[in-house]
Amino acid sequence: MSAIVAGVDIGSTTAKSVVLGEDSRVLGKSLSPVGVDIVKDAERALESALADAHLSRPEVSFITGTGYGRYKVYFGQLVVTEISCHARGANFLFPGTRLVVDIGGQDTKAIRVNEKGEVVDFAMNDKCAAGTGRFLEVCSNALGYDVAEIGLLSLQAKRAVKLTSTCTVFAESEVTSYVSRGKDPKDILAGLHASIANRTLSLMQRVGVEPEITFTGGVSQNQGMVQALHRRLGTPVNVSPLSPYLGALGAALHGRDRFSGGVS
Amino acid sequence: MSEDVSAPAPPGVVSPTFLRDARRLQRKLVEEYYGELASAEKPRRPVAYMLVGGNLTEILRSFGYDVVFPEIVGLNCAIKHQSLDNILHAESLGYGSDVCGYVKNDLGLQDLGGKTSFGQIPRPDLLVCSFSGCYIYVKWWEALAESYGAPLFMYDVPYMREETPRKEDIDYLVSQLWELVRLLERRTGRAFDLDKLKRVLAESRRAEDGWVDFLRAGRLRPSPIEAYFESIFYMFPINVLRGTAAAADFYGIVNEEVRTRVRDGNYPLPEEKYRVLVEGVPPYTNYRTFWNFFRKWGAVSVVATYPKVGGLFDRGFRHDPSRPFESIAEYSLGAYVNQSWPLRRKIIADYVKEYQADAAIIHGIKSCRSFTAGQGDLRDWLIHDQRVPTLYIESDHQDPRYFAAAQIKNRMDAFFESLEQRRAVAAAAGAATA
Repeated sequence: MSAIVAGVDIGSTTAKSVVLGEDSRVLGKSLSPVGVDIVKDAERALESALADAHLSRPEVSFITGTGYGRYKVYFGQLVVTEISCHARGANFLFPGTRLVVDIGGQDTKAIRVNEKGEVVDFAMNDKCAAGTGRFLEVCSNALGYDVAEIGLLSLQAKRAVKLTSTCTVFAESEVTSYVSRGKDPKDILAGLHASIANRTLSLMQRVGVEPEITFTGGVSQNQGMVQALHRRLGTPVNVSPLSPYLGALGAALHGRDRFSGGVS
Repeated sequence: MSEDVSAPAPPGVVSPTFLRDARRLQRKLVEEYYGELASAEKPRRPVAYMLVGGNLTEILRSFGYDVVFPEIVGLNCAIKHQSLDNILHAESLGYGSDVCGYVKNDLGLQDLGGKTSFGQIPRPDLLVCSFSGCYIYVKWWEALAESYGAPLFMYDVPYMREETPRKEDIDYLVSQLWELVRLLERRTGRAFDLDKLKRVLAESRRAEDGWVDFLRAGRLRPSPIEAYFESIFYMFPINVLRGTAAAADFYGIVNEEVRTRVRDGNYPLPEEKYRVLVEGVPPYTNYRTFWNFFRKWGAVSVVATYPKVGGLFDRGFRHDPSRPFESIAEYSLGAYVNQSWPLRRKIIADYVKEYQADAAIIHGIKSCRSFTAGQGDLRDWLIHDQRVPTLYIESDHQDPRYFAAAQIKNRMDAFFESLEQRRAVAAAAGAATA
């Protein structure tokens, strides 16, 4: 049974929503920051995606919540973890995907998937935001840049510095110390991206590195990070403008399966 | 796959109602034991502190000692949400954040006066460091000896790298056991009574038989027991009261209850969807929350390694009154954490087959490298060599600051989602070919 379905992904930093048409085309999407009222954030994310799709709520047959705030998507009919959703979304966009790397606001995940987009194994950063979007944000603030611009700046580095701290707070101090020693901020940013790539690689190795690799989550839009991962892996990673939305997209696909009586 | 939020919560998620008389009796035994230890109304028997792995309960009991296991005191503190104050106090004394939670709970508790909600923990008259499988414990017991001024007996247990103990290891341990006997004779002024030791060992054996019957009930489909979450309640008699008639009788009551469950269909969950092997020490500080993470997915722990820290009785070992010292030595060698990783892997692989486990969950703890180091490799081995879906999660058994509920729940939900997905796909493929 075909229908219009939606996914709402409430992450630690942003809320994403995707509305899928009957042919699984993305009709609308939204991305907004998460505040203290997660229920309202979830509502707002869906309404924005519906507005983008020129649709109204009654036209949506099934809504699925995902992400850390998935239980706050009260208006949904299903909740699925973002691990399953990113796997599903990545498989939908890049069917050859065998490994998903999701770097979000406070989480990094490596998810190994099979040819059907099913999760085979996964590993996540543990109780520490080092190597996540938050890590980039803290360090870019220390350098006086907006987090959105640091990726491209890092690509202009001449000689990346080596960051040794594995803790976000200590890394910020280390960045400040490099600044006071007169290091070029671009070199510091390149070091920052390389350090995250190293941490991410170790996570990926825990589940097994196998191409194709698809990069999802908000940090996937950072070109410096895409390049740093490419260099560290020795192989390009799939990335798309839809990458930050793949959790919500995967949620919508799981919802479609459930609505149509499929295996999900 | 995943959760339908519009569906009602499955029955039994909130409260494990299958636990009846045995759980009540266990609670009573714990209260009575610590109550008696704390009683000031009668002359107190001497108290020996010991460690669970490879413990020498029977010898101490034959000399009239009561035994206190600070690890068990620690887990009781943790499950009753009392460990953090003790840990913070130990940290204020200078013990760092990386020090074992058992150590810090115990040292903090004793420095605060030894008072718990389940009784006053008495000071030791003797410290017996049966440090089978853990080398941090040596330092812990040395700190206790200095703090209490109590004599310290070090019992050095060789690490096991082969399934069958070597004769020279047994001889080495037996010689130490005789040293302990001589020390106890001097301290109590009593002559060693071999017949009494044999009687104690006979009671131990009876308790061990009953304990194994309970553990093996996990082989039934559905399992009438929770081999991880329920077993931790019943580890108190097999470790602390072993050698008494009360311990042996306790397992008779437990097993009668298990038979009643089977007869009445009163299982841990209304539907056993996943049979899970659990490896590692439980997060006692969030024990009920952790259990519910299993229950909501219909997962029952049918076999676990943790209940074997006090002895691998289910692998055939029994204390033997006809070979008292040799069998105690074999027991000490056979503590689960004293086994090398190849031996631990073999035990786990056998368990997966014997108990028809669908998946494994490994809970690593920050505190204990002895138990935990190597669990990452175990996970990979189970997934790749044994083809057993396996999840590794980490927190702590004593320190609630390390239990990140949202992260652990997320991992467990994703793990069970993937199992459900695989099962649904396999069922769909089966239906298509049929």
